Amino acid sequence: MRPRRALPVDDGRHDRHELEKLLRQVALGDRVAFERVYDMVAAPVYGVVLRVLRDPAQSEEVAQEVLVEVWRAAARFDASRGSGMSWVMTIAHHRAVDRVRAAQASTVREDRAARLEVHRPYDDVAESVEATLEWERLRRCLSGLTELQRQSVTYAYYGGYTYREVAELLKVPLATVKTRMRDGLIRMRDCLGVER
Amino acid sequence: MSRDPHTLAGAYALHAVDDPAERASFEEHLDRCAECAEETRGLRETAARLGSAVAQEPPAALRDRVLAEIGVVRQLPPAVSPVADLDRHRASRRPLWPRVVSGLAAAALAAAVTLGVVALRTQDLLDRERQANSRVAAVLAAPDATTVSSADGGVSARVVMSRSQGTMVFFSAGLAPLPDGKTYQLWRIGPAGPLPDRLTRPDPSGRTPPLVLGKLGDTTQVGITVEPAGGSAKPTTSPLMVMPLPPA
Repeated sequence: MRPRRALPVDDGRHDRHELEKLLRQVALGDRVAFERVYDMVAAPVYGVVLRVLRDPAQSEEVAQEVLVEVWRAAARFDASRGSGMSWVMTIAHHRAVDRVRAAQASTVREDRAARLEVHRPYDDVAESVEATLEWERLRRCLSGLTELQRQSVTYAYYGGYTYREVAELLKVPLATVKTRMRDGLIRMRDCLGVER
Repeated sequence: MSRDPHTLAGAYALHAVDDPAERASFEEHLDRCAECAEETRGLRETAARLGSAVAQEPPAALRDRVLAEIGVVRQLPPAVSPVADLDRHRASRRPLWPRVVSGLAAAALAAAVTLGVVALRTQDLLDRERQANSRVAAVLAAPDATTVSSADGGVSARVVMSRSQGTMVFFSAGLAPLPDGKTYQLWRIGPAGPLPDRLTRPDPSGRTPPLVLGKLGDTTQVGITVEPAGGSAKPTTSPLMVMPLPPA
């Protein structure tokens, strides 16, 4: 597979170092730095939480938890393990997915199966998202995946489903889903030109 | 099914591995396999791009709420890097300790200066409360959640418990305000007698925030007493209320 080159547009790498520098200041209790971090990450955080939870009120609540966690745990951010944005987005995605799973635990199994039938995470996202440059690029990269790769990746990420649920939903073996999530993400990584 | 833990990297980066044991064994694998750790890092960066591409401006009020909340939330000190990190630091020829120590000292200093020692103690409780929120939600949502209620002399208390999760949450209303120097303390009472649990004070409306108590285990009753601030190891006053829990 030939990786597609990233477009010569702002891909957040300038922000990347800026955000990391700011997070180090936040770790020392710098509130002014935190306000700047807030302005850089609040929209990505709220966006991802909203896609997963699909309920604005709950999403606002979870986004608040995530942003306060960024303040609280800033000293635990380690730039040698990944970018600042990835650290923040991992917290956001985990909180949102955990909230969905906690809610699901109380839902009876049939309802859950019904939800699996009607919920098409990627289509839902595509219909509701703002058409930004970054979304356009992501969409183009997603369309370079096989159908099964794309579904495996987006059901897990935007739908908050476990790989077992994704396998059940797409009616494919567990091992296949695991493999498709991995090779799908690898292809996305190369297409987006993610720094490694 | 493939036994190669490596194939889990994608699902792991997508937070799609919900079995804690499976996740832990994959993380152990990452500690031993530098190449896998590197791949997982890249896939996590990629997953983050799926998130940042769907950014949406939150309501403006969120900013005010977050900035207000960080005013009362104490920050964590830096984690001391585990042994596995030593190689990485050695490789980059950066001494590990001076950085960690100065970070700690600076964070501690900043926290002490802004909050003061007394505030820190209160803050610690507040922090735990906040972290407990998701645990409270988990207990309330448990399929086997059971509620026990009790009302006595204007005080009403409720314990929501889940045997499957081994957890319980305490709520109350109508507790009288206490003078400084006193606190309400909860007790888990079982075969070994009363075990000290959370301390709490009612808000001006007389309610206490939801409190996640210690392990349910063989607790048969939950009690509440008035104790000197800071709590006691054994009850020093007779309980205001004792709530029997249904047996397993």
